[in-house]
Amino acid sequence: MLDTIISVWATQQLTLRTIQHLSMFFIALSISIILAIIAALLVYSNPRVANIWFNILNVIETIPELALFIFLLPILGLGEPPTIAACVLYSILPIMRNTYTGLANVSNEYIEIAKAIGLTKNEILFKIRLPMALPLISGGIRVAVVYTMGIITLGGLIAAGGLGVPLQAGIHQYNIPAIIIASLWVGTLGVVFDAVAWIIENKLARRYNPW
Amino acid sequence: MKFDHVTKIYKETKAVDDVSFDICKGELFVLLGSSGSGKTTTLRLINRLIDPDEGTIYLNGNDTKDMNPVELRRRMGYVIQQIGLFPHMTVKENIGIIPKLERWKEEDISKRTNELLNLVALPPDYFRSRYPHQLSGGQQQRVGLARALAMDPPLLLMDEPFGALDPLLRMQLQNEFLSIKRKLEKTIVFVTHDIEEAFTLADRIGVMHNGKILQIGTPSELLFNPVNEIVSKIIGSENKFKAIKFLQAKDVMIPMDKKYLIQENMTCQEAVNIMISNKIELSIVKESNGDIKQIILSDLLKNEDMRRSINDFGRKLVIVPPDENLSSIITLLKSSNEKLVIVMNQNEIQGLVMIDSVLINLV
Repeated sequence: MLDTIISVWATQQLTLRTIQHLSMFFIALSISIILAIIAALLVYSNPRVANIWFNILNVIETIPELALFIFLLPILGLGEPPTIAACVLYSILPIMRNTYTGLANVSNEYIEIAKAIGLTKNEILFKIRLPMALPLISGGIRVAVVYTMGIITLGGLIAAGGLGVPLQAGIHQYNIPAIIIASLWVGTLGVVFDAVAWIIENKLARRYNPW
Repeated sequence: MKFDHVTKIYKETKAVDDVSFDICKGELFVLLGSSGSGKTTTLRLINRLIDPDEGTIYLNGNDTKDMNPVELRRRMGYVIQQIGLFPHMTVKENIGIIPKLERWKEEDISKRTNELLNLVALPPDYFRSRYPHQLSGGQQQRVGLARALAMDPPLLLMDEPFGALDPLLRMQLQNEFLSIKRKLEKTIVFVTHDIEEAFTLADRIGVMHNGKILQIGTPSELLFNPVNEIVSKIIGSENKFKAIKFLQAKDVMIPMDKKYLIQENMTCQEAVNIMISNKIELSIVKESNGDIKQIILSDLLKNEDMRRSINDFGRKLVIVPPDENLSSIITLLKSSNEKLVIVMNQNEIQGLVMIDSVLINLV
């Protein structure tokens, strides 16, 4: 049993694949978070375009991952760039939607008092709304974590490296131990990251929205 | 501060209807009225959370419309019933939010926060780093007051700040607030629907009803001379008059505290020392011929020769028996222009009736 794991780990270069996988994961997730929060802030200060934005992102969300890859291939080629781009395109919506909702749903009581004691509109946005939206934002990021994990695995199909590669190889070669070990490993990573995100979300919720 | 024919219209109803009044520096002005009377709207007009449809609001002679609303608001403290402490900030961060935006130095903010927490009777070491949800309602309201005072604003706006607290706590906070107010000498506009609260705190009260100010006056003016039925109904004057008829001196007097008694033939210097160390402004002397006189601290201080006997400064006092009727005491005080009577049973001083505290007790 242990021998099989060690041999599959070595032949499939799982250490290298994991490093590739996680580096793509963190790059994609960071880009998504930054873009989504900036987009949410922009849309928030100009609410008339909010619906248009969310409709566009909703449409992207409904495109199957594989089809999206194919759209992106002529523009970004093969490998990591289209994979990361796909991750970002999928992840922006949940983070942005949650950020927007979080910003908009801060209880009016706090906004009133903030205004009354002399905060400007921007100060209210950054000192009151944004911090109080953090629990919801982290909820959106948690959804994005799951998306990103899945899409990067699929990126193995378009030569992006990562843990999708041993899975693809296993399927093509009918190498059942490789399939099982690689998929269990990806699954474990996904569960662990989701749990970490869940813990952070809870901490933030207690810190920023205790009532 | 001055309101000059101010009107605010919400969907065709006049929430504030042609309101004019002045608020003097250093006074606590209460806007009293039921919900929907326009008192909160009036308050929100002052710091421009809303702008009037007609009329002008002046602050120190300047039209508030010409001022930057953010700067204006930073020069006014604001306290509301829901308190509105920001849940993601510590007590210190809540109090220091505006100083920080005004780019105060960190050490100055810390110093100010500690000062204010001491002022509102919350030990800074224990409370500074706590979050609002870790505090009780009364403690939160104290922090809310501290936050309003952070920039040392000359004007404080308060909207039913004690309304959500249970009655006992409310009374305690009102008393604390009064003593803080005496220390700070700020102009305060205070909105409430609670008549007792209004009478306890106010220098003057503006009674509001349906967007109009019906009457402005001191508590006793409102109680004894309401301009119309509505005011007397809001104030409850009728019931209070009934109360005056059956109350007697002994029901409303404050039991005599020995510290108010002073020996005759003392020198002014001795008397002044005693009165200052007892923190009293007025004392009572019983002369050997049985006369009761009052000695007023400022009279002694104004006198040039501190070796003179205090007997020269005794003022006459109104003296009544314990079963004297309250309404006749008030008449007596009114005719003699005094604020104090001594209640005596045969030759024993039993207590004092101070008209101000009687009025407060009545409501």
